[in-house]
Amino acid sequence: MMSESLARIITTSTDLFRQCCLPLLLLTLSLFLSACTTTTVDEFRQGETGIEAHQSIVILGRRQGSTYETREEFVNCVGERVARGTEAIRVIPEKEFIDSLFPWFEPRTAPLRTSDLQVLMEEPLVAQKITEYGIRYIVWVDGQTETSNRMGSISCAVGPGGGGCFGFGSWEDDSNFDARVWDVSSFASVGTISTDSTGQSYVPAVVVPIPLIARVEANACSSLATQLQQFVNGG
Amino acid sequence: MSVLNSLKKLVPLGVALLLSACGANSVVVEGSYPSPNVRPIPLTLGVFFDADLQNFSYTEYTETGKEEYVVASGQTHMQLFNSVLPSMFANVVVLDSLEAAPGAQVDAVFAPSIEEFQLALPQKTRLDAYEVWVKYNMRLLAPDGTYIADWVVTSYGKTPTESLRSIESGINDATVGALRDLASNFTLTFRSVPEVSEWLVAKGAGN
Repeated sequence: MMSESLARIITTSTDLFRQCCLPLLLLTLSLFLSACTTTTVDEFRQGETGIEAHQSIVILGRRQGSTYETREEFVNCVGERVARGTEAIRVIPEKEFIDSLFPWFEPRTAPLRTSDLQVLMEEPLVAQKITEYGIRYIVWVDGQTETSNRMGSISCAVGPGGGGCFGFGSWEDDSNFDARVWDVSSFASVGTISTDSTGQSYVPAVVVPIPLIARVEANACSSLATQLQQFVNGG
Repeated sequence: MSVLNSLKKLVPLGVALLLSACGANSVVVEGSYPSPNVRPIPLTLGVFFDADLQNFSYTEYTETGKEEYVVASGQTHMQLFNSVLPSMFANVVVLDSLEAAPGAQVDAVFAPSIEEFQLALPQKTRLDAYEVWVKYNMRLLAPDGTYIADWVVTSYGKTPTESLRSIESGINDATVGALRDLASNFTLTFRSVPEVSEWLVAKGAGN
């Protein structure tokens, strides 16, 4: 009789823990762990900057590397954030710009140095398009996110009575991006902004896998965009 | 009886599904290609796409020699040339045959062909990208069929692997990348091919 009551109390406590405390614990854990991202931003200024309301910038990804290429999604993310807020700058979408100036900004043909841009601007059709867009600065974003230190394993099984997973996995993401700013009016590089963001992601699995993802690339995008906005506005 | 009839109808469907599961995956490459911003050459160009180009497809095999992917890119190649050439020349005439050239009032006939197509899949290369290499033979002929120029152009395209991207989509995007590379390379180097340059000078369109 005593043991039955004890068993009932233990079962009730376990149910209560499952219903109430476990989700709360996991939520707290996820909030704590998802914040584990460190971002460093460096700025190297080579010249004065500033932009007028009628002028715009274009942010382009470098895709000349043989081992990696700057993801279009990251470039779009930076562009969207630079075009937002109180210090918003008009940003020409990358795809629209590259298609409009085809074939001059393709991976094989894009200018690699400011002197190449000067030569390119001698092409009347290129100069005309850039003037039409009102482009004052071309920003070249170059970088990637690398995943390393993958550890752990998760096993999942399904049976007639249900299924579940058990295990633990983790990995580290490292985003390194540079944004080089070229002034189209002077054909000079006016500065470089670098961002380095690292974070550890975890996936604990007790019946259900709970991904606790470090938003490394999103943080790199946000930091780079904020700094770029200030830089171009002359701040 | 009606159940039996229904089953009879379902059998061919089942067999078809079973057979389709054993066959190669087909990728019909689709893409859009912008018109190049270049000074047009003030001449009339005839273009001839032979049947090999129009119906070009590449088959990727598994390590055991089974057909894995069939990449059909003939139509998208024609779409690419139809987008690029009208920006490069004042007039472009598409010819049904090389024999039609003398009567079409063209200055030359352009006849491209694909010599080699290579596909690299991430599951085979262990790289995080789909890659496509294409080697072309570009021929520029006089309306009477004699050679003006004959040169090779190579192109390369790649697209990174992504978690929610299908293999078919990766192959498509890498091929479109290679075709864009072809368009940019062809457009910007056309005038510098020695035989083409000589021909342009002879036609008074050298500058």
